[in-house]
Amino acid sequence: MNVDYLVNSLYLIKPELAIASALVLLVLIDLIMGNNKKFLPYVAIAGLIAAAYFIIGQFGMNSLAFVSKSNKGMIIADPFGAFFKGIVVFASLFVVYFSIKSDEIKASFERHGEYYTLIFGMILGMFFMISASDLILIYISLELVSFSSYVLAGFTKTALRNSEAALKYVIYGGVSSGIMLFGISILYGITGSTNLYEINSLIQSSSIPNLTFILSGILIFVGIGYKISAAPFHFWTPDVYEGAPITITAFLSVASKAAGFALLIRFIKITFIKSVDSAGYWQLVDLIDWKTFFIFLSIITMTLGNFAALWQDNLKRMLAYSSIAHAGYLLLGMAVLSNQGMIAIIIYFAVYAITNLGAFFVVMLIANKIGSENIDDYKGLGYSQPFLGVSLAIFLISLTGLPPTAGFIGKLYLFIALVDAKMITLAVIALLNSVVALYYYIRVLKNLFLSRPANGTFEFKVSFSNGLVLVLLAAPIIILGIYFTPLVDLAKNSMQILGF
Amino acid sequence: MTQYIYLTVLLPLFGFLFNGIVGGRIKNEKIIGWIGSGTIGLSFLVAVSSFFQTLGLPAGDRKTIVTLFNWLHAGGLNINVSYQVDQLSLVMALIVTGVGFIIHVYSIGYMHGDKGFWRFFAYMNLFIFAMMNLVLGDNFVLLFLGWEGVGLCSYLLIGFWYDKKFEKGTTGDAAKKAFIVNRIGDFGFLLGMFLIYSTFGSLNFTEVFSRVDAYNVPASIFNFIALFLFVGAIGKSAQIPLFVWLPDAMAGPTPVSALIHAATMVTAGVYMVARCSIIFASAPAILTVIAIIGAFTAIFAASIGLVQNDIKKVLAYSTVSQLGYMFLAMGVGAFTSGIFHVMTHAFFKALLFLGAGSVIHSMHEEQDIQNYGGLKKYMPQTYFTFLIAALAISGIPPLSGFFSKDDILWNTFANGHIILWIIGAGTALLTAFYMFRLYFLIFEGKERFNLNKHPHESPKLMTIPLMVLAVLSAVGGFIGIPALFAGENGNLFESWLAPVFQKANTRLMVYGAHSGMEEITLMSITVIGAACAIYFARYVYLKNPQFALDTSRKFKGIYYLLLNKYFVDEIYDAAIVNPVKRGSERLLWKFTDVKIIDGAVNGTASLINYLSGKIRKIQTGVTQLYAMVMMIGLVIALFWIIMSL
Repeated sequence: MNVDYLVNSLYLIKPELAIASALVLLVLIDLIMGNNKKFLPYVAIAGLIAAAYFIIGQFGMNSLAFVSKSNKGMIIADPFGAFFKGIVVFASLFVVYFSIKSDEIKASFERHGEYYTLIFGMILGMFFMISASDLILIYISLELVSFSSYVLAGFTKTALRNSEAALKYVIYGGVSSGIMLFGISILYGITGSTNLYEINSLIQSSSIPNLTFILSGILIFVGIGYKISAAPFHFWTPDVYEGAPITITAFLSVASKAAGFALLIRFIKITFIKSVDSAGYWQLVDLIDWKTFFIFLSIITMTLGNFAALWQDNLKRMLAYSSIAHAGYLLLGMAVLSNQGMIAIIIYFAVYAITNLGAFFVVMLIANKIGSENIDDYKGLGYSQPFLGVSLAIFLISLTGLPPTAGFIGKLYLFIALVDAKMITLAVIALLNSVVALYYYIRVLKNLFLSRPANGTFEFKVSFSNGLVLVLLAAPIIILGIYFTPLVDLAKNSMQILGF
Repeated sequence: MTQYIYLTVLLPLFGFLFNGIVGGRIKNEKIIGWIGSGTIGLSFLVAVSSFFQTLGLPAGDRKTIVTLFNWLHAGGLNINVSYQVDQLSLVMALIVTGVGFIIHVYSIGYMHGDKGFWRFFAYMNLFIFAMMNLVLGDNFVLLFLGWEGVGLCSYLLIGFWYDKKFEKGTTGDAAKKAFIVNRIGDFGFLLGMFLIYSTFGSLNFTEVFSRVDAYNVPASIFNFIALFLFVGAIGKSAQIPLFVWLPDAMAGPTPVSALIHAATMVTAGVYMVARCSIIFASAPAILTVIAIIGAFTAIFAASIGLVQNDIKKVLAYSTVSQLGYMFLAMGVGAFTSGIFHVMTHAFFKALLFLGAGSVIHSMHEEQDIQNYGGLKKYMPQTYFTFLIAALAISGIPPLSGFFSKDDILWNTFANGHIILWIIGAGTALLTAFYMFRLYFLIFEGKERFNLNKHPHESPKLMTIPLMVLAVLSAVGGFIGIPALFAGENGNLFESWLAPVFQKANTRLMVYGAHSGMEEITLMSITVIGAACAIYFARYVYLKNPQFALDTSRKFKGIYYLLLNKYFVDEIYDAAIVNPVKRGSERLLWKFTDVKIIDGAVNGTASLINYLSGKIRKIQTGVTQLYAMVMMIGLVIALFWIIMSL
């Protein structure tokens, strides 16, 4: 190992370095400044902007960092990773802003240093999840994300449901990461390597014991499935999303899921691929039938998410189930196993990120004022708060996937990918699921606009900065719904995974 | 400025967004009105400068395409948001923004004090936005966007005073009628578009029109495409049998009628036929159909106009009749004459409607011409400008209407359609008669209203637009002086548009031999006829009112037939609307919808409700159970994958 090697590698992980330095800086400032914690969020924002700057640079890269003697690296810098890191940073920026405005977070003012440090720990973990090409690093980054999020889910401590959520999260997370580690150890046992590229060339060249290999693949998937809350590994989601502070819920539902999906795509594509044909379909090694696996997983996940959401009265919990359903839609894109499917996932995710952040932001603003997340308490809100009402309507309509919002474009490309791959039945199931979803989203709108307020009106003002942030989130949904070419171009650029 | 042509589209959009979003809050009529009008005015300036820039180019290079962005790209379908600046679209853009601007300014005065002032200007701007997309778009999809957009805006504007009484219902009913009738036409247009795409593999004008020659397409396909497109035009441009919405469209505020009838909307169909001239030229049979429908619409609507007593209704039927002329022109292959008439008609019809608005305004919303009379001395400016418009539409030289109408009639005759010429010439006489009936009953004679009404001239904001339009109506025809008088290439308008229709005209090869003597004879016949009709109207309605009464008594049957507009609305009600209503109520609603669809939907809904109630129970809150279900899921997955090996 020489200096050149280190410098060349560090050059490729600038975003991660920026986040790590910001993390250290946050701890130090917290220690030095004592009770003056006003600057912490601004330091956090500065760190994120620096990371964003480096991420933009990564769109042009295609290299491996920390390359071993056998020419296989640990970390990948490519446009695909840059896109998902971008989503994480985008979400983090908004979540930091939400945290400044959230009454829940304000209440535990003295522990703000801890709060931002943990968020940055999560971001760092996600970055590594997104760009790792080695099982050990994958596992460590996954755990880094998990541990930070356990604490953050129970951050406010004062609320009982907070602590309950955190505890459940720990138990559930412990079980799944244990299973995943088991899978990793088996895979290492069979192949003698932890590097995905190396495993890929190994399983193509030599014969591998079928059963054990399947076992390891599925066990590893459990860990990832838990992060993206795919059924039946989703049980923690509703409890944690409801119990955690809204800022953290928003963060988990967008950033954590982005990292999980990035990891899943990379894991499948790098480890199991044989070749990509001219039409962009992936030919996988036929040890595990991933296609059927994903088809069933996506059907179960979206149906379960949508059906369970029907009955929810708590908007946070409803959005939790809806996020499970969306994971199901995204898995549809996986099931196609093609470049087109991947473009669809990327478009869908970009839209989902903006929309979900917006929806949670409105929920937070309302909860700040009326202290409730219950749908029945929203009755008539659309009349006294037309701005919040219309924004929430835009977000929910986009989540449903109706035109002219960007949500429609996301679903459109997903369905096009399915139809092109001749998976019409699956497309129909997904469509029917959207109809179910329409019901519970529209129920909220019905309460907002068609019911008269039960008691009194909602007399509060949305501050200028909050309004501006809301417009920043709502406007792209409408604009991208009509003029979506840039989104598609971005997705086409971002599907570049190193090695293919 | 040609490369900035998109501003003519975006400025009205800005006006719409501004007035639509903040207009309701600022409540300042000055700001709202001038933003609403100013954006259209600026659009007009952009269009004018693009016109002069294009004029400076050699005739062959006068087509510029300005692409904003790629809108849809799916498979072979590639739609850009791009605007085509050529001779035809520039003429239309100038008419829409120019006349539109004048109407907007007039509206500031007319709508003063209305509680929906901001809403009115927001809709009007949206209307112009849609219309500009329609005339400037370089592909069928953008044209269709505008096409539907004007349909929507006409709905919003006709029903602007949604709770006001109108005939048997409210203005809301009139708006619905306009929308539904338009939808029927739109359906035809859509079919035409689908057929074009499946035949030519593109929806881009340049590509489609070049493929008309390049591809070997059977004549029957052309007939179908042309027929479908024409069905769309029938709906939008109010021809037989879909004209019924236009007379009702006067339920909206008068400036709206002026906008819909004169400058925008109804001309869309004519524009579309002109734009697709090469397709229509490839389907000569359909062209003949168009000519016949146009001629019959012209005389049919004119005859209804003879006896109506509502000032706006007379004008409305006159619009239908004039549109008939335009389609007659299209049908006989005289595309240039048709567009020329679109332009002159925009001037004098806008003037007539705005003049009518001015009269209605000063008479406190009274619209029955039997209750007017002698208004000449109370509102001199309105009177004078209205007279010019009436002379123009009657085809009295040298006002603009004379040139365009004569152009159409001459082309009809020259291309061998003698019977259609007779119908057209007859319509010209009727037009002169009913227009001057209107004029004499409003402005001349004795006052037939309570003098306490104190009619007064309208404010300057309303009369200045009238004067501008009066000047245009008077001199607008000089750019299209027939070659007979102006010499070869003397018809500026025709030589300007010639390149656009060149391909279609070559394909049709219609122009037979004709002599100047014939043209002068025919011209004299119509002009003298119109003059006689005016004199006759003066005799009947000014000098000898008893004569009108006697005639209507004598020909009671015909009089009632005309007064009730041939009972077309009643026939439609009995033959189509009521059966559809009853059928949809009994069969579709009470049986299909309530029993079958609702039953299925409610059944599914309660099933889903039941299932979701069960599924929800899985989430018990007990963590151990969660872990157990997860393990079970894992085992099932493994088991199943291993079994399927």
